[in-house]
Amino acid sequence: MAIDRSKFIGRFVEEARDHLVRLDRGLAEMAQGSAGEGITASEIDALFRSAHTIKGSARMLRLLPICDTAHAIEDLLGAFRSRQVQADAGLSALLQRGVDAIASAVDQLDRQPDPDALAPADAGLCAALSAAATPGDAPRPAAPAANQTSERAATQEAKAASAPASAPTPAPAAPPTSGLSDSDTLRVRLDHLDGLIRLMGEIIAQHDRLRLRPDEARRIARGAEAEIAPACEAFAHSLREDVQDQEVLIRELHDRALALRMLPLSILFEPAARNLRQLARSLGKEVRCTITGDAISLDRQLIDELADPLLHLLRNAVDHGLEPPDERQAAGKPASGSVRLEARRDGRWVEITIRDDGRGINVAAARDKAIRKGLLSAEQAGTASDSEIVDLIFTPGFSTSALITDISGRGVGMDVVKSIVLDRLQGSIQVDNRPGLGATFRLRLPLSLAIMRVLLIEAGGETLGFLAQHVAEILRLSRDSLLEVAERRAVIVRNEFVPVMPLAELLNPAFKVAPATATAAEASPQVLLVILRIGQEKLALEVDVLRDERDLVVKPVPEHLRHLHLVSGFVSSGALAVVSVLHAPAVLDLAARARGQSVSDGARTMATAGERVNRLLVVDDSLNTREIEKDVLQAHGYSVTLAEDGIDGLHKAMREQFDAVLTDVEMPRMDGFTLTERLRALDAYQATPIVIVTSREKEEDRQRGLRVGADAYIVKGDFDQSNLIGTLRALLG
Amino acid sequence: MHILIVDDDPLAAELSAAILQAAGYQTLVAEQALDALEQLEANPDLDVVVSDMHMPLMNGIEFFAEVRERGYPCRFILLTGDAPEELQTQQPGLDACLLKDFSLEHSLPRLVAELTASRHEA
Repeated sequence: MAIDRSKFIGRFVEEARDHLVRLDRGLAEMAQGSAGEGITASEIDALFRSAHTIKGSARMLRLLPICDTAHAIEDLLGAFRSRQVQADAGLSALLQRGVDAIASAVDQLDRQPDPDALAPADAGLCAALSAAATPGDAPRPAAPAANQTSERAATQEAKAASAPASAPTPAPAAPPTSGLSDSDTLRVRLDHLDGLIRLMGEIIAQHDRLRLRPDEARRIARGAEAEIAPACEAFAHSLREDVQDQEVLIRELHDRALALRMLPLSILFEPAARNLRQLARSLGKEVRCTITGDAISLDRQLIDELADPLLHLLRNAVDHGLEPPDERQAAGKPASGSVRLEARRDGRWVEITIRDDGRGINVAAARDKAIRKGLLSAEQAGTASDSEIVDLIFTPGFSTSALITDISGRGVGMDVVKSIVLDRLQGSIQVDNRPGLGATFRLRLPLSLAIMRVLLIEAGGETLGFLAQHVAEILRLSRDSLLEVAERRAVIVRNEFVPVMPLAELLNPAFKVAPATATAAEASPQVLLVILRIGQEKLALEVDVLRDERDLVVKPVPEHLRHLHLVSGFVSSGALAVVSVLHAPAVLDLAARARGQSVSDGARTMATAGERVNRLLVVDDSLNTREIEKDVLQAHGYSVTLAEDGIDGLHKAMREQFDAVLTDVEMPRMDGFTLTERLRALDAYQATPIVIVTSREKEEDRQRGLRVGADAYIVKGDFDQSNLIGTLRALLG
Repeated sequence: MHILIVDDDPLAAELSAAILQAAGYQTLVAEQALDALEQLEANPDLDVVVSDMHMPLMNGIEFFAEVRERGYPCRFILLTGDAPEELQTQQPGLDACLLKDFSLEHSLPRLVAELTASRHEA
């Protein structure tokens, strides 16, 4: 052996993956174009060359299965190129199978760089590709490559004959995931590296100037200057300039160094899409996977962490979302399902959506399952809104084995997906469910975890931080404008009730002071509120002082402090000592528990009074408003069912007779005026009290509300519970 | 003894170079024909050119024609992914046309040795 071929295998894997990405893209375009408009001659030529290059390198390295498959792909692409055969969706799907076969062989090679361990090429697939390349149905003569490899082909055929028929395709239970694995090397564009080195040169030059300053200071100190004061002034001035210059350079250096670690999302999306198609095939489903925005780059650390959750969400879309072709056609949908994977830049964020057009999440089934699994009591499940039920898929223990995909030997359920996105990637995940039409998962992630925008505040004498992404807004308002609701305070922000909690009290129940001895903060006529938002949930935290908002390097929590769920990391900056950055999702959970306790105590004492409980339906598209109204009403002994918009409210009202309905006006799908009108048209609701609770203060709105049949119109701005409860008591008698 | 390798596939170029270096030759690499012509201009007494067939801008046969037109005396070996015999018939002036495969490891150094020996005798 004059040369060591094995060292070239790694290079081959890298190179082949680059070409596979190009092939995937080209085929996706081809699949979308109808009547051959999807792809130009020069694009076909580029695809042909990619296949040809893979073939050439594979043959030189004796990777015959890859070589044979690439050769067959090249045949068909060549026929497109010479216009002998017209490209269409069917043929592009066939090509895609070929490309996927090469991809799994490349993955196999990456795991085990031994050419002899490769499974033989799928002879049926190669034959189909070559046959498709021939206009008419004449079987093609054997390709010239076959003569070169006859001996090997014979042994391969023998092997294939003794193996089960589907040997070449990996079993779906263990999908190849190495396409998503991280390697230890990173290719960096030379010009990026050059720019970095040039910048280093500037920093060194700048530093040289700085080295002269101590001598200057010493000269002034020794009295070498005639006038001390102006000399010191001038010295301070030039020193400040140096520091400012250096700051600019250092920041740029930091940005560029981080940019070196940025990788395009295509690294994740392409193999994931391939994996998706393989899974669909093994399940007998048809899927079209479209990718957009995969040129957006993220820090490598995020890319690595994101691989598993992304794969799980995609597999979930195929496995549980998409229906089999016949079921789809029966439902009036195209036989092949669609999964759209989209990425969008939003400032320093990226939003990734995974949208399928399958059956969506079956809310009724999820509701039953939640009760069966003891996650909710039957009563809770009855009053929970659809979106709250759908959110349960992220609860540990809700994903049954059917929902768990085994990825790289670990069970990953939706709860794991959520915890990776929230805790490790500092992002958020939301699900938007349209029963019968599909589900959309939305992930929002920072582009890099190394440096993040942090809001620094003070509460209870402590300096604490929040990641800016979790802060929806900051309000300063007079203390009187806070509402008292079910022994808790709330504030109205844009047509929404948001619970208010003093941060210090929340973090340390010992801070809780008796109302008699109000602290200085309590006494001040103004309150400063930081409003956190995670998904649809909001919480207003009362803090004492806003310190600063800036980009800081967030250090992860060290291993021995991992049990502190409330802290997501630490920042140190300038004169500040180490500051804890609070983990907003955990703070929200804590607040919900604190509220839930006080409210459920109240509700329990009321419910035991033994009188007939009035059942109310509360319709509002804001989660917080629903929750707060529910708290107030339960505290006064009512049983409450929630609905998230007019349609949902109408359906619930038809299923069950309520004693009164409270509705907001502005809601998606059906507004409160329409809902009131529709309810009044039903026999069962002709005389039922309907109360509109809204932030619309205009008299004409009030008139319209009463015209469509509402009994009362309460403006949220004047909301206080006595008003609401008084109104209800008057209406319900 | 200097050999110029022309191949737009960096891996294939590297492999060819490794094979020839192992046989004791000095190698230069060009990514495509235009680049290769520049290198030839800089080193007009190059002994052998080993070129790939399918390349952007100018394929191996066109490149060969260009090399001869400019009067470079080097030997010219064409490597191809398919049907070397066809190309050899198409362009009889080629010193050799080889299929790109794993046998190159032995055939390429042997061929270079033969071609350069015959050239030195001439």
